[in-house]
Amino acid sequence: MQSKSIYKIPEGKLLKIFIDYNEKNNSINEINITGDFFAYPEESIETLENELKNTSLKKEILLSKIESIIEKNNIEFIGLNSEGLVEGILRCVR
Amino acid sequence: MREQWRLLITENKTAYKNMAIDRAVLVANSKKIVPPTVRFFTWSPPAISIGYFQSLSDEVNLEICKKLGVDFVRRITGGGAVFHDNELTYSIVIPESHPQIPKNIIDSYKRICGAIMKGLGNLGIDSNYFPINDILTNHKKISGNAQTRKLKTVLQHGTILMDVDVEKMFSLLKVPDEKIKDKLIEDVRNRVTSIKHVLNSDIRFSDVADAMKKGFEEEFNINLIDGDLSQEELELADLFERECFSADDWNNRR
Repeated sequence: MQSKSIYKIPEGKLLKIFIDYNEKNNSINEINITGDFFAYPEESIETLENELKNTSLKKEILLSKIESIIEKNNIEFIGLNSEGLVEGILRCVR
Repeated sequence: MREQWRLLITENKTAYKNMAIDRAVLVANSKKIVPPTVRFFTWSPPAISIGYFQSLSDEVNLEICKKLGVDFVRRITGGGAVFHDNELTYSIVIPESHPQIPKNIIDSYKRICGAIMKGLGNLGIDSNYFPINDILTNHKKISGNAQTRKLKTVLQHGTILMDVDVEKMFSLLKVPDEKIKDKLIEDVRNRVTSIKHVLNSDIRFSDVADAMKKGFEEEFNINLIDGDLSQEELELADLFERECFSADDWNNRR
């Protein structure tokens, strides 16, 4: 199932997420995280997208997975944060 | 003695060449082949640049761009879509370790924007930095900026609006909801300004460039010395233009 969300991060930028998800397992097949935010290093967004494949669409699981990817890869966001990412993703499936 | 940085002025380049030059200077500076460099440039034909993380097809009306002869290119920096027409675009390339560059990214945006604000001041325009990446005058945006850090080197580039055509800009960009397009145009018209609007007169690129040159010299207490791209930079720029910025797989990658 494909879906899209547009979410303005509070005090931040406009996040646009494109997602293909498995309704039966409630998990991510493919995700594209786009928008006018900043992330350092930039290529880390592709790492994040790859590592989110097959992740459950449950709020707590998503948040802890995203936070661990950010920490492991030393990603610095500006105008975006892990809570905003989770909200953007969940808006695709609500 | 004041430190000497290089000043490049490259007018009327394509979007692909402009983005390729910024990246070539970044690579050359990271190899210590060239000094910290400030460049002032313009775009011919006019072009849309989109941020590294944006979706090209979601942000840009490609058919209208082609019809109006407007190029489009993905930047290596984050941030939003920009229509580059009547403006001075600047870029600065400098080692991350340079004592004048704050380690903190937001602080370094603010510092580099300080040079632009001094430059605007030299034109008689008061402005202030508005985090994350804007410069405002009378609460309206006059400059947008974007920074990346690669190879231990900072590249920040940004636009200083000399004039602005909000209607044309919106014909080239996609809006989330066509029904509210008119309101959006009105909103942006109220939130964006240009040197021409503030001064109520036309201004030449060379006058803005002179003011900005002094702005950088004052902010960083340096001398900017007119220079040219090195042979290595020219070759790198050709390579990046061909294999990256003019290539469909780069521009369509998101």
